[in-house]
Amino acid sequence: NCGSALTKMSRRYDSRTTIFSPEGRLYQVEYAMEAIGNAGSAIGILSKDGVVLVGEKKVTSKLLQTSTSTEKMYKIDDHVACAVAGIMSDANILINTARVQAQRYTYAYQEPMPVEQLVQSLCDTKQGYTQFGGLRPFGVSFLFAGWDKNYGFQLYMSDPSGNYSGWKAAAIGANNQAAQSMLKQDYKDEITREEAVQLALKVLSKTMDSTSLTSEKLELAEVFLTPSGNVKYQVCSSDSLSKLLLKFGVTQPAAETS
Amino acid sequence: MSIFEYNGSALVAMVGKNCFAIASDRRLGVQLQTIATDFQRISKIHDRVFLGLSGLATDAQTLYQRLVFRHKLYQLREERDMKPETFANLVSAILYEKRFGPYFCQPVIAGLGDEDKPFICTMDSIGAKELAKDFVVAGTASESLYGACESMFKEDMEPEELFETVSQALLSSVDRDCLSGWGGHVYVVTPTEVKERILKGRMD
Repeated sequence: NCGSALTKMSRRYDSRTTIFSPEGRLYQVEYAMEAIGNAGSAIGILSKDGVVLVGEKKVTSKLLQTSTSTEKMYKIDDHVACAVAGIMSDANILINTARVQAQRYTYAYQEPMPVEQLVQSLCDTKQGYTQFGGLRPFGVSFLFAGWDKNYGFQLYMSDPSGNYSGWKAAAIGANNQAAQSMLKQDYKDEITREEAVQLALKVLSKTMDSTSLTSEKLELAEVFLTPSGNVKYQVCSSDSLSKLLLKFGVTQPAAETS
Repeated sequence: MSIFEYNGSALVAMVGKNCFAIASDRRLGVQLQTIATDFQRISKIHDRVFLGLSGLATDAQTLYQRLVFRHKLYQLREERDMKPETFANLVSAILYEKRFGPYFCQPVIAGLGDEDKPFICTMDSIGAKELAKDFVVAGTASESLYGACESMFKEDMEPEELFETVSQALLSSVDRDCLSGWGGHVYVVTPTEVKERILKGRMD
């Protein structure tokens, strides 16, 4: 009874982002994270020679006009890319902000922005929406994958609160807790990029809700170094992805109807 | 001495048959003293667009950095490279923004547009574009360059002949200008490759 009275009272603290509830929570931030829990999942895995990002596409209608654009993965700068989970329109704003921040750094210092600084800068922007302005937080979580000369390959996860941390493997979006525990079991340090791709596809296939897994439902991108030593961000083509799914034995063909 | 002549420069771009050439001198001076003989005045924006900046070197560097900023964002948003005509418009707009406190540069833009059609243009320091079908020139040696190009230019030259023509025009013009020279830097760009060559000229 006492509990229900408390929850009824705490409803009063929902409408404004800029105040704490009596229990010391920021409800709007938590509700934003709820929104992301229903979005298409994304997994990131750090390997010794690259970072792998895999995303589950939620919008897969035959009527959708396909183009080279991706739904889950975006390039921020030549050396940093991100995977997105949550409200796409919110994500677009933040991606644009991150891109401009990266270019501003390069303009000032004539070198690529270190990955953590870029993540921190974007998270500072997100934090602003939890403390001032009377605006709601962004309903997006990110997985940032990048390389810089100070710390090599890195993977970061950030959420609507503006909190971020570095990870060896992380999952965001729907079923992220299941994915995260699977990653915890199977991830080993010194994993290679190819093994990371395999692990990411395996974990995603197990945690995805859909009954059949084809390359149309997934996006795969990698950040790695070319033989000449330059950082490259590459999105896997639909054909290569189908081949990979077959190779790793994670394709579940759609049930045939007679 | 005018501010445009402070560092000394020579730039020329020429159209050939499905190709273009863009060339510059290599001297960086501070009035009459030579500081560097390997100064890069031409920069690649992407595989099919090159930008040469003559005039005050500090403004050329800053202008180039601002253009890289804008072009990188364009590439990320549009998911393609900028066409040379579009790039020229961008340069013109950025220069005009500083209409009452301009960058002391004269850019030369050269690129391959749609269907591999060569495109060249130059503009003044506040963004007035000058499109040409044959050649454009800029820098302290521009008057000599105009004469040399006018007499040596032929339409539809193949890359090898274009290279020879541009090189001769550049070297003979900078030899008549005390502020530019110390060799040459020539880029000949076709749809399939970019050939970069250094010219040995009079080192004075």
